[in-house]
Amino acid sequence: MTLTKKILVVDDDIDHLDHVAMILKAEGYDVIKAQGQKEGEDAILTTIPDLAILDLMMENMDSGFVLCNQIKRLYPETPVILLTAVKSATGLDFSPKSSGAARWIKADVLLDKPVRPEQLRNEVKRLMA
Amino acid sequence: MFAIEANGQKIEAKKGETILQTLTRAGINVPTICHMEGLLPSGTCRMCVVEVEGFGGLVPSCSHPVAEGMKIRTNTPEVMQTRKTIIDLLLSNHPDDCLYCARNGNCDLAKLAADNGVRDRTFRGERTHRPKDISSPAIIRDPDKCILCGKCVRMCEEIQGVSAIDFVNRGSKAYVGTAFNEGLNVSSCISCGQCILVCPTAALSEHKYIDEVLQALANPEMMVVVQHAPAVSVSIAEEFGFKPGTDFDGKMVAALRRVGFDRVFDTSFAADLTIMEEGSELVHRVQNNGPLPMFTSCSPGWVKFVEQFYPEFLPNVSTCKSPQQMMGAVIKSFFAQKENLDPKKIVSVSIMPCTAKKFECGRPEMGRDFVADVDFVLTTRELAELFRIAGVNPAAIEPEPPDNPFGERSSAGKLFGASGGVMEAAIRSAYFLLTGEELKEYKIQDLRGMKGSKELRVKIGDLEVGAAVVSSLGQARKLMDEIKAGRSDIHFIEVMTCPGGCINGGGQPIGADQEAIKARMNALYQIDRDDRLRVSHKNEWVQRLYTEFLGKPLGHKSHELLHTHYEKREVLL
Repeated sequence: MTLTKKILVVDDDIDHLDHVAMILKAEGYDVIKAQGQKEGEDAILTTIPDLAILDLMMENMDSGFVLCNQIKRLYPETPVILLTAVKSATGLDFSPKSSGAARWIKADVLLDKPVRPEQLRNEVKRLMA
Repeated sequence: MFAIEANGQKIEAKKGETILQTLTRAGINVPTICHMEGLLPSGTCRMCVVEVEGFGGLVPSCSHPVAEGMKIRTNTPEVMQTRKTIIDLLLSNHPDDCLYCARNGNCDLAKLAADNGVRDRTFRGERTHRPKDISSPAIIRDPDKCILCGKCVRMCEEIQGVSAIDFVNRGSKAYVGTAFNEGLNVSSCISCGQCILVCPTAALSEHKYIDEVLQALANPEMMVVVQHAPAVSVSIAEEFGFKPGTDFDGKMVAALRRVGFDRVFDTSFAADLTIMEEGSELVHRVQNNGPLPMFTSCSPGWVKFVEQFYPEFLPNVSTCKSPQQMMGAVIKSFFAQKENLDPKKIVSVSIMPCTAKKFECGRPEMGRDFVADVDFVLTTRELAELFRIAGVNPAAIEPEPPDNPFGERSSAGKLFGASGGVMEAAIRSAYFLLTGEELKEYKIQDLRGMKGSKELRVKIGDLEVGAAVVSSLGQARKLMDEIKAGRSDIHFIEVMTCPGGCINGGGQPIGADQEAIKARMNALYQIDRDDRLRVSHKNEWVQRLYTEFLGKPLGHKSHELLHTHYEKREVLL
């Protein structure tokens, strides 16, 4: 019997959190919701997620980066998606795919908000394949 | 015809035309921003104001009909000052980042300012700021650069029938936005990029992937292959100062090698492959009472349009992937196998006249085992930028042929770049496949030209086929509504998202007028006229691909690699 995969979703925007959770639950995943960095930090102490989807700018501008580093330190095998509007909001442009940024962005993928449901589903499946 | 006076000269005017049309015909230049050829005037920007004797104020020439005996002046101090003031006001709310702007060197607003003597900022103060929308894989919107001319809104609604963007709020709070102010990525935008072509500034531009391609080229562990679409070779030369319609096919291939691509393939090869698959699919549908009419599926903007606006027609859309995706699929299967390479070690780049191809290559179904058929799509404009960055001048290079096994093409495949070309190529091959004989005259005049809607009844053996060709989704909408209302005399329909087809795609050089687009189209017809191989079914390398790898059209492997499926798509409307 295969256990249902657990996905941790962290976002300080409750609407966005529910929206992402709804897409993933429809796919049969077990979703753990955390509203912000603090709740996310608490969640990873009690649960080992199979994948995490993190907003970036929450309590602090770099909340998502901090949480991502913590997850990767505790569970190096857990893939992390940063789902963020940071590039639009700040005008900064970076990607974990570029060789320079890969050193400090520990996430596997960065997706720009808003995402299409099939886009998110595909990334989740790909990272857990 | 009647006479009017303009700037003291007698000129001829036609009844029913606007003052602007009369003046333009007489060679008198009147600046415009919101004016769009072929559409009703909106008269919003007021740049085209002129003085008409006896009229109280200045008159917008784009929306005012010309009348007998009018005395017009286009360059009085008041007219010139008014234009300057309009430009001053636009610039007062515009970011000063020309150096870093996507439209640097090609900005209508900068040209207007220069042409009208605006060399300093008159009004300084707080500017409105709205975040950039970078969510779409195809199009970036930067509201800070928008001057509210409304051309993108009109293009999206009146030509494309999509209405993904519209004006929001009024007065100084007005901006162009999407439904619920969400990103383009989740809107009904079909990524066609026609809005980019009409935008006077960089409020709309393509999502660029040049850095990603350069990074791949610099990685010695990866094999980087590139394919180029049929309509790119007849437009890229414009980016290097050549006249529209100049064909840079071989020069572009050579230049791509100089940039560092390991293999250069021609998407027209995959167009020939598409004809084999799509032609067989049509015959199969006819013989097995499958859903008819069958729509082509080469144009990704159109495919998304059906998914979101006409899902009831999805069974009618050909299951064939587009030529770009077919090429991507055989690169990462047949070619990888031949080269003894892991498909994950291949970076597949395509050069397209299209922004929607950027969206298409990211569709989850366009790949296998999470390896995408095509990794990055660059537009014609980005290709020119890539050449400049790499210091390669295609104009100065001797032409070279593309690489095999995907380098040979028929001119029928090349015709895919013009509206009607897919149908012409399909009829040429269907005629042979059904009768065993070649058409006596390959050229099918009724399917050629810039008309938005073309129809033809053609007899192939005992079969009489009703064929229709539409370009622009406004035209597609009309035809689909006719079919919904019961029209049943059409069996095969070619739909191109962009008016005139890929030669006028959203990724093509900016600033092309109708004459330039016709010149690109005629260049494709010229290539077809002079070519030795004019039918897809005689492409020997396509035949070899079937013999060595795919088996037969619509066979098991073809279904696995070259065909796809569609789903009803929920978007914000």
